[in-house]
Amino acid sequence: MFTKTKKNKQKFIACTEKKNKYEFINPKELYIKQGKENIPIEIVSDKQGFVFVIWKKKKYLVDIIEKNQNQYEISVNGVTYPISVESPFSYKRKKYLAKNKGDSKIEKIQAPMPGKIIEILVEENQEVKEGEPLLILEAMKMQNEILSSFQGKIKNINFRAEDTVIKDDIIIELEK
Amino acid sequence: MTKIKSILISNRGEIAIRISKTAKGMGIKTFGIKTSKEPSAYYLQFMDEIIDFTELNNDIPEFLDIEHIIYSMKENNIDAVHPGYGYLAENPYFAQKCIDEGIIFIGPSPDSIYKLGNKTIAKQLASSHNIPLLEGSNGNIRNPYHAKQIAKKIGYPVILKAASGGGGRGMRIVEKEEEIEKMFRMAQNEAEKAFSDPSVFMEKYVRNPRHIEFQILSDHHENIIHLGERECSIQRKHQKLIEESPSVALNKDLRKIMGDSAIKIAKVSKYKNAGTVEFLLDESGNFYFMEMNTRIQVEHPVTEMVTGYDLIEWQIRIAQNEKLTIKQEDVKQNGWAIECRINAEDVQASFAPYLGTIEKIQFSNGKNSRFDTGVTEGSNITASFDSMLAKLISYGETREKAIANSLAALNKLYIKGIKTTIPFCKEVLNHPKFQSGDISTSFILNDMKQLYYQEKDEELIAAFWASLNHNIELDDNDKTFIDYEKGKNINPWLMNKRLKSL
Amino acid sequence: MDINGKTYKDFKERANRFKHQNGPDKIKKQHDKGKLHARERLALLFDKDTFEELDAFVTSATPDTGFGKIDEAFGDGVVIGYGRIDGRLVYVFSQDFTTMGGSLGAVHAKKIIKVQDLALRVGAPIIGINDSGGARIQEGVASLAGYTSIFHRNVQSSGIIPQISMILGPAAGGAVYSPALTDFVFMAKRTSFMFLTGPNVVKEVLNEDVSFDELGGAEVHAKKSGVANFMYEDEENAILGVKKLLSFFPSNNLENPPYIDTKDKKDKNVDKLRDIVPDDPNKPYDVKKVIELIIDKDTFFEVSEHYAANIVVGFARLEGKSIGIVANQPKVLAGVLDINSSIKGARFVRFCDAFNIPILTLEDVPGFLPGLDQEHNGIIKHGAKLLFAFSEASVPKITVILRKAYGGAFCVMNSKNIGGDYNFAWPTAEIAVMGPEGAVSILYRKELQNADDPKVLRKEFAAKYRNEVANPYIADEKGYIDEVIDPADTRKKLITAFDSLENKHVEPPSRKHGNIPL
Repeated sequence: MFTKTKKNKQKFIACTEKKNKYEFINPKELYIKQGKENIPIEIVSDKQGFVFVIWKKKKYLVDIIEKNQNQYEISVNGVTYPISVESPFSYKRKKYLAKNKGDSKIEKIQAPMPGKIIEILVEENQEVKEGEPLLILEAMKMQNEILSSFQGKIKNINFRAEDTVIKDDIIIELEK
Repeated sequence: MTKIKSILISNRGEIAIRISKTAKGMGIKTFGIKTSKEPSAYYLQFMDEIIDFTELNNDIPEFLDIEHIIYSMKENNIDAVHPGYGYLAENPYFAQKCIDEGIIFIGPSPDSIYKLGNKTIAKQLASSHNIPLLEGSNGNIRNPYHAKQIAKKIGYPVILKAASGGGGRGMRIVEKEEEIEKMFRMAQNEAEKAFSDPSVFMEKYVRNPRHIEFQILSDHHENIIHLGERECSIQRKHQKLIEESPSVALNKDLRKIMGDSAIKIAKVSKYKNAGTVEFLLDESGNFYFMEMNTRIQVEHPVTEMVTGYDLIEWQIRIAQNEKLTIKQEDVKQNGWAIECRINAEDVQASFAPYLGTIEKIQFSNGKNSRFDTGVTEGSNITASFDSMLAKLISYGETREKAIANSLAALNKLYIKGIKTTIPFCKEVLNHPKFQSGDISTSFILNDMKQLYYQEKDEELIAAFWASLNHNIELDDNDKTFIDYEKGKNINPWLMNKRLKSL
Repeated sequence: MDINGKTYKDFKERANRFKHQNGPDKIKKQHDKGKLHARERLALLFDKDTFEELDAFVTSATPDTGFGKIDEAFGDGVVIGYGRIDGRLVYVFSQDFTTMGGSLGAVHAKKIIKVQDLALRVGAPIIGINDSGGARIQEGVASLAGYTSIFHRNVQSSGIIPQISMILGPAAGGAVYSPALTDFVFMAKRTSFMFLTGPNVVKEVLNEDVSFDELGGAEVHAKKSGVANFMYEDEENAILGVKKLLSFFPSNNLENPPYIDTKDKKDKNVDKLRDIVPDDPNKPYDVKKVIELIIDKDTFFEVSEHYAANIVVGFARLEGKSIGIVANQPKVLAGVLDINSSIKGARFVRFCDAFNIPILTLEDVPGFLPGLDQEHNGIIKHGAKLLFAFSEASVPKITVILRKAYGGAFCVMNSKNIGGDYNFAWPTAEIAVMGPEGAVSILYRKELQNADDPKVLRKEFAAKYRNEVANPYIADEKGYIDEVIDPADTRKKLITAFDSLENKHVEPPSRKHGNIPL
């Protein structure tokens, strides 16, 4: 896990969306290794509370947009980077699981209750992320956003705006 | 001369603030409208008086509620109304109603709005006065067969457009004859849905054109001038994102010819007040009239920065019957201005609108930059209104300096709580083709490999930041002291009861 | 004793054999499957150097039947013991998949039973880490008997000591009953499985091809069946989660929960609470934003996040003190109560009640989900569960009505007359027998029938109804609400109210137990 080795070094492996990985040892010591050199990092925050990381004479505006367990969404200069922070063990586990992924499957997005479709927000063949809104369903006099439970590609859209659906109707099919 | 002493600004956001600032500077009392969707909106702080529309219980959006707006103006004895852009700005019925009720509508006449608002009529007006037009159907297409005929005459590729609206809806580009009938039907359906009018016309489609528009000012004393051009070629799905003035594509001669054409359109349509004539400029220097926008536009600040005039002020002055004291030969374009629209959109998720609350916002209002915004700390971005947060306009003596100043300003613009198009603007401004002025309306689609700007080590810094925070969290967890004694020290009265009841 | 003599040498040699049995190759085997070894999990779970193992050297029982060779390994496939987690005594059993596949035999079961008994005797929480191939077929009925004894103790301990199960490998067949009987179940994605009948049997009997993950993986149980309360990306984070969860509980049902000084002030500014509920009653919002502002910063620990998301339950702290929160979520299914959310809420309320954790209810519920599906599947019974749970609970119970509170759902969500100690409402609250739309249709049926423009008239009547019938001040004046409060005062009022209820005690009726509809 994040167990400390004999020299009290804790290794963190940050993984990005494009499967890049960055390793840091004891990030709290505020340096990043480049080649053989440990280049120090400075953290400053201004009066308003905006936080900047200064490294190699460049200033970066940083912010944590979201965090769920070890999955982070970090914003640097306004650009979003999904990062997951792993321990050496969990990183190996991730790689192992990624290899044995299994066949891509079709996931069905079903109506959770009867209602009327107000708007379909996606198109066929569009790539969507987990948690992204797919459609708006009106029921119980309220507009509910139906979110995607997986990351994948929209394979089929079986209904249109203004259509009425009953519970469990398959509205959208996603390919994982 | 009917001096205006009070204005109702029937709009919201940055333009409401913009209009109010100028009006107040002229000693005019400003009235604003409060809606139930954003009762504590930033723009209300800039109004002398607020008219409360939050109790209105009908289905009509507040800024489109003609009846109540007119009623409020009469109730409060307001002299004039400035509609801003969008909403009722190009609604001839509203303009007429104002006139009927003795209220000054700051804009052109209802007749101009109507004529120029209908693209088919506008084009007929242009063609009958020898203003270059894209060859087209010269009227609405009657049916798919008619579409096929006209397209054959014009020659492919052609574009189908909705007669009553824009913004890309009801628009279809058709490359070959096999598709024309299907596309025509699709365009009609979309137009019907979006504008309640299935009328569609056709014109020749120009590839990679530049969007060039001229700012017109026209008073009630037969004086019409233009204040130079703006280039708005950086568009995505027909929404402008970055505009500049002047344009690299125009030399003195072309400017004169196009400017004169713009003035002519205004003249023959008896246009008054501020307006904008839009042209397409093709790669060979041919220009074609597209349409005239009968209102003040979002991107007007770039003209203001380069010519030095306050367009809102002139709108008010013209509306109260003053003469234009600017002569065409007085109009000079000094330097260069670039405007970046800052929208609440997630560039990395195909510009999906990003809803949320602005937690913090910081910008530098320097000598060379102007930040027109309708939001402040605490503003809520909801689905009820469009996603434009602000406009960042930068000036430079040359185009290169303007670009450099824009980037500098963007680098100092910080917004927390919302994802914005700032990285997109940076990418455009850093793009070699944009820097050399080699742009067209297909720039975003064809020339941009990536839609957002990334510094070299950003990902590394992001990874570090996440790891650092995780490190801190894990250490904090370890250090947290859990006090069990507090839970064990139970009031004897209570403990007694607990034991007894078990 | 002479450390160079035979006695000590034998002692050391035996210890070495033991170490060798649990050597690096075993650990590698687990790692290659993406899992941690049983002992590694314990090293992460317990505070450094506090874990004491029991019965490490027991060997397997001889098989009842004559077939199958049994490993003479020490431990019989499970590690048991006790240690300190964040300073508190906790008992544990951790199944060792690398020894006989972690299969359960008579001795294995006896070990688990041993820690269960000890935990109950001492009044300390017990954590079970499941990673097992199932019953040891060679040992026959003895394995089954072992399981049943474990289940029996789960039941005997239920409500007396907190019991947490971690499923970090397979748990199949009868083995899944133990976790099902415990208070909370943790699973890790892709390497945890729970099912009663495995894919092979499914294939045989029903000729259906289904993978381990599809049948009973972490996602299935966290999202669809609700059996798993927590789903983590990997084992380390799951273990961190267990530790966090424990920090909200007392060690047994006689104690009060522990306290953490969160340094968050009682009167910190939460004016933003006024801005969360939209003026338009048909617009959704995220109740978690309300929760975040009311409680101490970053202390919300949600339970069963992905199941029945139309109700939000979880633990939090108010001025350092542990509370349980039950809140309708208007963002999902308009916040209605349905079968799954009723069950989710009911179990959570009963757990808090058993362990002296006060309950805060945040209400915005338009009613129960209508429809054949719900009615035919017994929403009546299941809704009654939540009502029973709230009514029975004798811990301090406070409700804040944020917006809608209609009909039966109003009664169920800890209303005053089923035992709410303090019931507050925000000015945006709408309390009525029925929502405006439904009520207007009934009350003004004649007028609407004869109207020229029924739509407009309906809107007028609905507004009138909202103002005159459904407003919270009526309930306030009649005493069914204690106070209509300014949202910005919510945190202060809640802390003060909970403080006053610290020594609350309600004498339970003298009966063996009630008959909650199941």
